[in-house]
Amino acid sequence: MRILVVEDEMDLLRSIAQALREEGYAVDTAANGEDGLFNAQNSDYDAIVLDVMMPKMDGWEMLARLRKTKKTPVLMLTARDQSRDRVRGLDTGADDYVVKPFDLPELFARLRALIRRSAGQTRNVIEIGDVIIDVAGRHVARAGEAVPLTAREYALLEYLALHRGELVTRTTLYEHLFDENDSTMSNLLDVHVSNLRKKLGPEFISTRRGHGYCIE
Amino acid sequence: MNDESQMTNGEHDANAQSSIRHSSFSFLNSIRWRLQIWYGLILLALLAGFGATAFQLWRGSTYRRVDDELQRRVNDLSQLFRPPQPFRNRGFEGPPGQRPFNRPPEDQSPDGPPRGRDFNFDSSAPREFHLPPQMAWLFDETDTNAFYYVIWRRDGSELARSSNAPAGAGTLPASTIRVREQTRNQPPDAPGIRRGPPAPLPPVMSGKFREIEMFMGERILVGRSIARQMADLRTIALELSAVGAGILLLGLVGGWWLASRAIRPIEDISATAAKISGGDLTQRIDVSETESELGRLASVLNSTFARLDAAFDQQRQFTSDAAHELRTPVSVMLTQTQTALNRERSAAEYRETVESCQRAAQRMRRLIESLLELAKLDAGQQAMKRSPFDLAQTARDCVALIEPLAAARRVKLICDLPPLECTGDSERLSQVITNLLTNAITYNKENGEVRVDGAAKDGSVILRVSDTGKGISAEDLPRVFDRFYRADTSRTSGNTGLGLAISKAIVEAHSGQIEVASEPEKGTVFTVRLPLS
Repeated sequence: MRILVVEDEMDLLRSIAQALREEGYAVDTAANGEDGLFNAQNSDYDAIVLDVMMPKMDGWEMLARLRKTKKTPVLMLTARDQSRDRVRGLDTGADDYVVKPFDLPELFARLRALIRRSAGQTRNVIEIGDVIIDVAGRHVARAGEAVPLTAREYALLEYLALHRGELVTRTTLYEHLFDENDSTMSNLLDVHVSNLRKKLGPEFISTRRGHGYCIE
Repeated sequence: MNDESQMTNGEHDANAQSSIRHSSFSFLNSIRWRLQIWYGLILLALLAGFGATAFQLWRGSTYRRVDDELQRRVNDLSQLFRPPQPFRNRGFEGPPGQRPFNRPPEDQSPDGPPRGRDFNFDSSAPREFHLPPQMAWLFDETDTNAFYYVIWRRDGSELARSSNAPAGAGTLPASTIRVREQTRNQPPDAPGIRRGPPAPLPPVMSGKFREIEMFMGERILVGRSIARQMADLRTIALELSAVGAGILLLGLVGGWWLASRAIRPIEDISATAAKISGGDLTQRIDVSETESELGRLASVLNSTFARLDAAFDQQRQFTSDAAHELRTPVSVMLTQTQTALNRERSAAEYRETVESCQRAAQRMRRLIESLLELAKLDAGQQAMKRSPFDLAQTARDCVALIEPLAAARRVKLICDLPPLECTGDSERLSQVITNLLTNAITYNKENGEVRVDGAAKDGSVILRVSDTGKGISAEDLPRVFDRFYRADTSRTSGNTGLGLAISKAIVEAHSGQIEVASEPEKGTVFTVRLPLS
């Protein structure tokens, strides 16, 4: 999952990005609305965390412009908790909002819910054969037994599971699993896929040679 | 008010009053009711006084008329029982030329009028009496309401009685007669005194009859039914009462109307004040129809309410802004610490976290200090020293202190100041100058310059800080002194957004003004104007 964080307060931006990366997300950052809009328009993010009060272009303005071209789920970070501000944010096209100061676990939970909903999933548990993926707890079990996965492996599995039955190209996977700071080796993806096959069964992920991967 | 004090009130009125106080304690507290009660009482007393006086006068004159008539008749009758003496005829007020004793004999019927000798002074007991015809018109015996007479002999036996005399006339108790005997002159055998003209006794009421008596040996009583007059008097009394009650009612209604009119603004005021104390500070008293003293009161209250409203609004805005400003550093600290505690970190990572928290905490400290300073300035607690000093010297000191910042930003500082003697708190004013200089350097462009100049004219000193920065847009310009207002809406500059607000508060505490002029892309000029003394 790849997320864009737009926030002008550098300390806050750094710590949110770090926390999200540790949760297994690929994170891009932008320190103002203009950069944020550029990033958001030129990549497919799974979600955007957007601060309202920013220099050059504030969050509302950026959101309004983004909505002309993209449907990316947006979670607004706002220091204003008056209802008219929340209403304005939601009406402009935000999918959710969090009022500062917030707790990180809440921010993560809201992001997960946002991503799940945008993928058309309503439940937190995805069952594929004897494999059960708990999106909320980030646990994977096979035949009742917990399967330990690295953050990257889990992210790959979750993305494929959320887009079950779809052919997911390598490019898409690269875009959603690695952020601009990753110097991705082209074979890294294959390593993660082969590790997942070892842990969940060789037939779990099918390969369409030259196209991408798919969970049936 | 306690019961004790009510009980110690005067016995007579206390009962009535205390019962009112008990039963309607609250409505006696109403000004309108108190006015009304006083008004009603005074009006009632006035009307009762006038009515009673008018009635008394009327009754007196009625009785006097009757009494005059009675007196005249009793005198006339008494003439008949007196020896003919020339002076005595003066009292006779009958038709002119009528002298009963000198009448020619043809007037006398055989059984009728008394003979001259019957009235002889020495005759002890006239046997019979007939009203002389010339006096008949005085006693219309066919009319029960007309005058009547009864005459007794000296021995108490009845000599004559007019036919319309009521049965009870003259049948006074023996004791009363005795008293009257004594009050009239002397017994018949005291001739010396009887010589003077006997006077009638004062008229008295006997039931519905007004009677007058005269003792002169014979006892003469003349009376008249005054039932009609009494009925008239009753009617008059009723009419007076009705008119009085009408006037009282009219007065009370009018008084109520006046009191209501006078009090309505007070009710408006208290209703509005109640709404305001209930929290609705937008309410105002309608002053359109209260041009009186109350109208002025309402205007004063309205302006007070308006200022309260503005103050509350400002306070609300300020509190919400302050909370808003504190949210970001708190968010930083929360996310930093939560991330750091998620797992074991290296010493360098912990250090980074702590440093970041320190920055957030320092920012909060700056903010809190500024907020406190502003709050003190708002409350007028921050006492400004009032000592003479040279503003130019203060400005030069500030420039010297800020030089390193200017050098770091490659901004040139130019100071061109004549002596600017003025009175005030040099420490607080140096805070203003430092703040203006910091802004001028921070928002300047590279290799720009900041100029400090001034002048003393028109009883005030002027200090100007101009920069060659990017300027402030026209829409932002009126708001730069607002609290937490930042033209760039960002927090990256690290300032609290309160610096200019504090500067303005300090300058205004010196009875001075601070102004800003700006031209985008050319620069901004802040002007501080202080009075000389």
